[in-house]
Amino acid sequence: MTAVGSEHDGVRAIEAEAAPTRFARGWHCLGLSSRFTDGKPHTVKAFGQKLVVFASGDGKLNVLDAYCRHMGGDLSQGTIKGNEIACPFHDWRWGGDGKCKSIPYSRRVPLRARTAAWTTMEQDGLLFVWNDPEGNPPPADVTIPVIEGATRDDWTDWVWSETIVHTNCREVVDNVVDMAHFFYVHYSFPTYFKNIFEGHTATQIMKGSGRPDARPPARNGEPQMTGNTSIATYHGPSFMIDDLTYHYDTMDIKSVLINAHYPIDANSFVLHSGIIVQRSDALEGEAADVMARKLGDFILKGFDQDIQIWKNKTRIDNPLLCEEDGPVYQLRRWYEQFYVDVADVTPEMVERFEYELDTTRPVEAWRKEVEANLARRAAESQPA
Amino acid sequence: MTIREDNRLLDGAPMLPLRCAQCGTRVRVRKSSWHQTSIQWDAEAMDACLERRASTPGGGPNGGRFPSCEALRQTIKQAALDGAIPVPDDHYGPVATVPETP
Ligand code: FES
Ligand SMILES: [Fe+2]
Repeated sequence: MTAVGSEHDGVRAIEAEAAPTRFARGWHCLGLSSRFTDGKPHTVKAFGQKLVVFASGDGKLNVLDAYCRHMGGDLSQGTIKGNEIACPFHDWRWGGDGKCKSIPYSRRVPLRARTAAWTTMEQDGLLFVWNDPEGNPPPADVTIPVIEGATRDDWTDWVWSETIVHTNCREVVDNVVDMAHFFYVHYSFPTYFKNIFEGHTATQIMKGSGRPDARPPARNGEPQMTGNTSIATYHGPSFMIDDLTYHYDTMDIKSVLINAHYPIDANSFVLHSGIIVQRSDALEGEAADVMARKLGDFILKGFDQDIQIWKNKTRIDNPLLCEEDGPVYQLRRWYEQFYVDVADVTPEMVERFEYELDTTRPVEAWRKEVEANLARRAAESQPA
Repeated sequence: MTIREDNRLLDGAPMLPLRCAQCGTRVRVRKSSWHQTSIQWDAEAMDACLERRASTPGGGPNGGRFPSCEALRQTIKQAALDGAIPVPDDHYGPVATVPETP
């Protein structure tokens, strides 16, 4: 074999450690809570485990390790009986707190009859589960903000979808900073772009105009999309809320987009997208629902474009960045906080970092100002 | 995972210290072009920034985030014009360099 290049020739090597087998500390969204309230237990593969999600008789959604501590039966194949999930193997009854409440054929429950239970939260029609490898409850200041429109009549219901992606979930998080890919993969044209990483949040602010070469022309009488303003924040490692306004030639449409995921294991994750749209004079009644579905499809197309890339790319810990790329290394430094014990979170992981690209002031304007500056200084330094 | 250093900081300009002209807050700053600015804050700077302290949360689900300090933005702009923060002149940002697509 003739080597066209080797380390000696200065060929850049791609470096990548194996994807972590530890799963991120934080709130993870399991999807629409209504999906889990059909009276049946549900199997969810997450965090390298099999979980059972069930609505107890009191209406609460519970998440337990799916494997029964008796003889290993799969609780997610069992039956909901009152406030408990009954194992299909020998009918042991498990409460949402993880404790075995009763064994129908035994007078006494043995000691230590307790299984792993996850802290859950229902908010805005969504089910969240708290994952922490250290087993601590969620701190009071680590929350998912309420999305007002989600429960209001003047907004549509969620248009929700989920897909399994076979790669490590760091790939989806990387998108927060990947400015250039919006142009090449999603055909949008950012004129202003900003990232802010601080504490457990990572934000992307983007103002863009549609690319005339990529968008379909508006049909007669239909409004033409001219651009969008997006303020998107990851609240923790996996749940991003995008406050997204679409600009049309005749109106603005307000929407909230969710981009969330939870890991199945180190090499696959479930990707969720959800959208709600505000009803307005321009978008009354049904029209808003139609628009939500349309935008939902549009967003799914965007994800499909990403997934095509992720399916075929390789994991890379040492991306070779040019000056025009976004802050990939700083984002990953932020993301690392969710993969270490709380005691090992370092200041650099959580301290505020800003990255801004503002192209609204042309380079020529900067140049002129520099020249004027130099001229003024030269004049000032003239001996009197 | 190990935290790795940005190859652009290793091979190019470093982040440089700069004090906000308004409140004296010390941050580290870098510009890769006239259009681009990076700012690294530390805990002390976040406490000291006057605009940050005076800010109230904006609307919407993500409104809790402090968007930016305008005084610091002005300071950085001036530092760039004065040459205190170097600006590589050959970078125009992706918008100016993207090719036409078919
Ligand atoms: S294995 Fe679950 S009751 Fe026996
Ligand atoms: Fe993308």
